[in-house]
Amino acid sequence: MSGGAVIYNNRVLEHWTETTCSCLSGFLFLRGIMGKEACLRYTSSTSLPPPLSLPLMPGFSSGGLGGEVGGPAASPPCPFRPSRFVPVSAATTFLVGSTTLFFCFTCPWLSEHVSSVIPIYNAVVFLFTLANFCMATFMDPGVFPRAEEDEDKEDDFRAPLYKTVEVKGIQVRMKWCSSCRFYRPPRCSHCSVCDNCVEDFDHHCPWVNNCIGRRNYRHFFLFLLSLTIHIMGVFGFGLLYILQHQHQLDSVHSSVTMATMCTAGLFFIPVAGLTGFHMVLVARGRTTNEQVTGKFRGGVNPFTNGCLRNVSHVLCSSQAPRYVGRWRGKQTVEVHPPFLRPPLSEAQLEAKVLDNGIQNDHHSSRSKSSLEQMESQSADAEPPPPPKPEVRYPGLPRADTEESSLLSEGPSTPSMYKYRPAYSSPQRNHTALTHPNKMIRGDSLDSPSILQSSRQASYRSEPSSLDGGSVIGLAARGGERGEGPGGSSGTGGEVAGGISGYSLGGRSYTSYPSSLVLSTGGSHSSSMRSAHTHHNTLGTLQSEGTTDTSYKSLANQTPQNGSLSYDSLLTPSESPEFESAAHELSPQKPHAPAAFPPAMTSSPPPGVRDVPLQGYTSPFLSAQMAQQREGQLLQGSASFSSPNRAYLRAFSPPSPNPPHAAHPETQHHLLHQDSRHPHLRATSSIRPLPPVSEQPSPSSPHACSPDPPVSPPLRGPSLRKSPSYTGEAGLQHKARPMGGGSLSGEGGVRVTQAPQSTSRPGLANHSTSKPVGGVKKVTGVGGTTYEISV
Amino acid sequence: EISAPWTFHNLQELRHSASLANKVFLQRDYSDGTTCRFQTKFPSELESRIERPLFEDTVKRLNIYYAEAEKMGGQSYLEGCLACATAYLIFLCMETRYEKVLKKIGRYIQEQNEKIYAPRGLLITDPIERGMRVIEISIYEDRGSSGSCSGSSSTSGSSAR
Repeated sequence: MSGGAVIYNNRVLEHWTETTCSCLSGFLFLRGIMGKEACLRYTSSTSLPPPLSLPLMPGFSSGGLGGEVGGPAASPPCPFRPSRFVPVSAATTFLVGSTTLFFCFTCPWLSEHVSSVIPIYNAVVFLFTLANFCMATFMDPGVFPRAEEDEDKEDDFRAPLYKTVEVKGIQVRMKWCSSCRFYRPPRCSHCSVCDNCVEDFDHHCPWVNNCIGRRNYRHFFLFLLSLTIHIMGVFGFGLLYILQHQHQLDSVHSSVTMATMCTAGLFFIPVAGLTGFHMVLVARGRTTNEQVTGKFRGGVNPFTNGCLRNVSHVLCSSQAPRYVGRWRGKQTVEVHPPFLRPPLSEAQLEAKVLDNGIQNDHHSSRSKSSLEQMESQSADAEPPPPPKPEVRYPGLPRADTEESSLLSEGPSTPSMYKYRPAYSSPQRNHTALTHPNKMIRGDSLDSPSILQSSRQASYRSEPSSLDGGSVIGLAARGGERGEGPGGSSGTGGEVAGGISGYSLGGRSYTSYPSSLVLSTGGSHSSSMRSAHTHHNTLGTLQSEGTTDTSYKSLANQTPQNGSLSYDSLLTPSESPEFESAAHELSPQKPHAPAAFPPAMTSSPPPGVRDVPLQGYTSPFLSAQMAQQREGQLLQGSASFSSPNRAYLRAFSPPSPNPPHAAHPETQHHLLHQDSRHPHLRATSSIRPLPPVSEQPSPSSPHACSPDPPVSPPLRGPSLRKSPSYTGEAGLQHKARPMGGGSLSGEGGVRVTQAPQSTSRPGLANHSTSKPVGGVKKVTGVGGTTYEISV
Repeated sequence: EISAPWTFHNLQELRHSASLANKVFLQRDYSDGTTCRFQTKFPSELESRIERPLFEDTVKRLNIYYAEAEKMGGQSYLEGCLACATAYLIFLCMETRYEKVLKKIGRYIQEQNEKIYAPRGLLITDPIERGMRVIEISIYEDRGSSGSCSGSSSTSGSSAR
């Protein structure tokens, strides 16, 4: 990567020479703050493009000047766009110019005739303002490096678009970022201008030409405060001068002072307005993004710790570290065999026996959609052969495919590669699920984990809507991925024209069969990934409790959590359906719970029905589960067998949405799904489903435009903010593919929102009116709903 | 020979007989907000590789360190005041509290790797390299003993199938 680093340096130098004088002071800070890191050598990741990000100013966010940059890269090289520097240049010019004039023309008289402290005071305030301005401009806001390929193997296409995590009892969903290839942590958002995911994303400020995020929010806030004070000082002292020189108003000094006062007065109103707005935000512990998208309109903000703590967090917390462009020390730890292995416990041995038995049962390769496998197994009505008494773990995974090799290694369950555990209270299921997961191999592998999760979760959750949502989400993920490279600028728009909004229980998901198909076609191993995801998501259902929480929420109302629904959708024997099906088929389960002692120890969360499902389930059962999933997915398709149908019927009433979304065409499609082509599967799941309860359209105008407190000058720039800024309004599934389209203007955003808004109000009532048992649902105007565990 | 060239940038130097088989990612625990905590859930892939108490100890210790880094106490407040007073020039010569703790964490991870994980064919990657989103644990297999050479990583894809 040294060549890339050289190129990077050259291009940086080019841009450097083109920048305006506003960069000069920033450079000092830049080198000072980033010098240590920037001047050290980095090793670079060969799998990522050269880490040249943006020209100079925001470019610093991803790398350092004057050093080799490598390692985790932020965004790929961007074209140099001079228009981005206009606001920041103007701001700098006004700030520095006006203050200089003030010092030159007004301060001498003031220091002589009033007090000599005045220039000192003004100088201090001005320096403070300038320092914070430069820090806000040049400091990395908290950019996440792109995830490396091995981290997101399974998070493609078939993986859910959203994952839910419980933050202080409130469900927060994490969206998959197709550009950065990871699930965005809470409060993280992707800035389309900078093409980076930023931690604690506040907004992209054109006046500093930088994102405001976790690391530089304090500087931005202090900049606003100090600028307000500085403006007041300049205006006030200028007024004092003028009042004392009323007879000399035509002199140069007076005219300059008056000009300075006019400038100060002109900027005071918007700056003070913005300062007040941010003071409110800080006190409430919200980001601009959250405020404008109305995330917490219901009044429940899981990220607040009280006013005092919020303020101290902004002002007094230690400077957060940067993630991009860090110096990587050479690690000298060597790994070479022989490796120590921990002794196996009795339970583990037993599990292994079971595991091997299951493993030998059916398909070892996951190269095709797992549904395919399920299909083949469904025909097998015989119980599985007795497990071989093999104690030792089999060798390394059969490497028919890259994914499978990484996925299904000998001793472990579907690798965590494929599964993104939903982040919830970790203590909930984890012991419960580890063993069952370990023991399960192949399809049936999923069952125990599902059993566990289903044990925890209420089986009254809405499988159909869940499935629909998850499929959609997958497709959305695929679509997003397809448009990911170009999506940040928004020019790519939708990957395929057939994207229609489909929101599930207040969550916005896009259904994009065509996009999924396209992206599936484009992906080299999408089918495999999907297959893997199926099992892995199941295997990894030992998720922390997101299962129970999201299922809980699902049970109580329309599913809010896209991730869980997606997960369950994809994995054939996902918990809710599995639970009921397992009930029906429980006699078939031969193995006692003895093999899963730890699994049973975890206590299900309150309000969740305890289902005594456990142990090994037959592949037949899993296959049935898969079929059930399909049925659920397609909203109770008639093609399912009777037990499934009964199950489906049992489940459909609780949710208003799934029957709502049922399509005869989907059933028709389901019939054709026997071939189990991933393509077809995708296609069936892609059927455009009517948008499920999305937030009513009144939220959309709000989502389009910034809050009134935001000063007018920022209205325009605010629209240029990242898609998530405007799109978080729950219309992301529409706005996201539109990406830049939504950024083009309010009108553009409204246009994209229009198609969805019509169908939403009717459905929104369903979601909001659903009674909640144990979970209180809070709907934000922006379209995001949060469940609060009661 | 080395099976996965891209791993060079990472912690390990691979001997020819160990190959990267899998990676486990420990995700963040957001149950208490956005403060840095990692889930202590024991991943199934490590069942046969390391004893659970050792693993949990490591993760808990890391959580403690991160909590210490993010603690808002007198030191961070003074640091902020000093930075403001010097127009942030103090950062030219002083290391922030967070960075100090991160160095401590790096040393701790290195020590854990040397003492506990590497002998078991595992390697922990400092989460800071992943943006503190995940703790990556690389699982190595003894290539000599494994029948089929699993593909080590998809990026290299150089392992024989």
